Amino acid sequence: MRWSSFKYLFKQGIHSMIANRMMTLASLGVLMVCMLITGFTALLTANINSLMDWLGSQNEMVAMLDRTLTEQDYFTIGESILSIQGVEEAEYVSKEQALQEMSGQMGEYAELFSELQGEENPLYAQYNIRITDPSQTASIMDTVSQISGVEIVHSPESLIRTFLNVQQWVQIVSWGLVIVLGVVSAVVISNTIRLTVFARRREINIMKFVGATNGFIRMPFFVEGMTVGLVAGLVASGIVIGGYSVIISKLGGYFVGWESAVQQVILPVGVVWPWVMAGFSAFGLALGSVGTMASMRKYLDV
Amino acid sequence: MIQFEHVYKTYPEGNKALQDVNLHIKKGEFVFILGHSGAGKSTFLKLILREEAATEGKIKVNGFDLTNIKKRRIPYLRRSMGVVFQDFRLIPTLSVYENVAFAMRVTNVKESEIKKRVGYVLSLVGLSHKKDVYPTLLSGGEQQRVALARALAHSPKLIIADEPTGNIDPEMSMEMMELLTAVNSVGTTVVVVTHEHDLAHRFNKRIITIDHGTVVGDELPCAYTRGGRA
Repeated sequence: MRWSSFKYLFKQGIHSMIANRMMTLASLGVLMVCMLITGFTALLTANINSLMDWLGSQNEMVAMLDRTLTEQDYFTIGESILSIQGVEEAEYVSKEQALQEMSGQMGEYAELFSELQGEENPLYAQYNIRITDPSQTASIMDTVSQISGVEIVHSPESLIRTFLNVQQWVQIVSWGLVIVLGVVSAVVISNTIRLTVFARRREINIMKFVGATNGFIRMPFFVEGMTVGLVAGLVASGIVIGGYSVIISKLGGYFVGWESAVQQVILPVGVVWPWVMAGFSAFGLALGSVGTMASMRKYLDV
Repeated sequence: MIQFEHVYKTYPEGNKALQDVNLHIKKGEFVFILGHSGAGKSTFLKLILREEAATEGKIKVNGFDLTNIKKRRIPYLRRSMGVVFQDFRLIPTLSVYENVAFAMRVTNVKESEIKKRVGYVLSLVGLSHKKDVYPTLLSGGEQQRVALARALAHSPKLIIADEPTGNIDPEMSMEMMELLTAVNSVGTTVVVVTHEHDLAHRFNKRIITIDHGTVVGDELPCAYTRGGRA
């Protein structure tokens, strides 16, 4: 196609959008609402995935040891733990170190722990065990608890399982929303184009009789459909990114003391925006072309 | 140029529009297709434009075999001819110039070429001074001339005029016919489809008469020599 023909057809598409501005605005509005819902759901899913990754990286279990045993016994237990398949690392923390760490976390209340030295120390010597695969948490936990001298084994296994469930549901819901709203958006664009096509059916008919190819006839309608999709995508991505940055800046206030964990889990705006912008634009363009294609078939069959 | 061999057309509802039509229109001829309403003229046109496919038989137009033509080739068949419709089929939102240019744009012609050619065909039909006017402000005769200019825009080898005088007054009808004769005089084949018996017989041209879907007459012009024009 010649550049001059392309320019002509592009202008025709834009001209048609302006001529049908009320319908164009209505489609833009509906598409934007669909994209906003889809976008926020997608971001929720992405953050839950990020939380899962973070929990996965925290795949530590703690084996608390019998207080009556000797340092040599603790060493033997450590060897046994390390020999279990799937255990990546086992770090020994004496009960003195554990007390010190705890008092360090208590800030101004640290003095309360000064009474608990020596025999008064209620804490256990422990092994912090890091495993390679979080899905093996339960079986490794079971093996560790059977080692003689291990009194209690803790792990975030139930928390991981809960989040896995949540993640699964959020994914199902978000995919459902993407599909349903995608179809709704395509139908909305299709109807807008159908009205334009209907208004210009005589022109299309004449074009056919003077030898226009279907591609040539479709082009302005594609320009219209895809521009509506793209503009809706760009505006919606702007709103989603703006809304997201407000939400995560407010979130810090609700998790005092957990700021660093929140920072590690929540995806920063800088990471999110290019994906949202590109995803929404591509989604809008795809919806625009699918909607246009669906609405034109009838009038091209001359 | 146009060849029909044992062509039949039956519509899905059972209407037998054409039955065993055989005709051959040669390059450079001027032919009237004459028939009253419902005789099968419109179906004949639809078959030539490949708006409809024949139920049986062979049709060749401008070198295109319409029996087996692929859908994507139909635009190229239509580009090889110019059609003047009874209802003009002009786009009311485009000026006279744009209506004519439009026919060239769809065939991907260079903008400079469009400018040159549109100016020329508008001068041929005597409407250069109305190039910026919108069709609704033109008389029926003028609109018909714009339609002819559009048909001529891409220099087709064949011009088909469907009832070209149907919506215009007698004076304009004569002007229109003179224009078509002038177009034919430079070698373009002209096929005029009409129900006007008097109009067809006023000119010394070949007349093919269709009635009830069959060719019932094929009168050659006086002093007609085979292989040439009258």
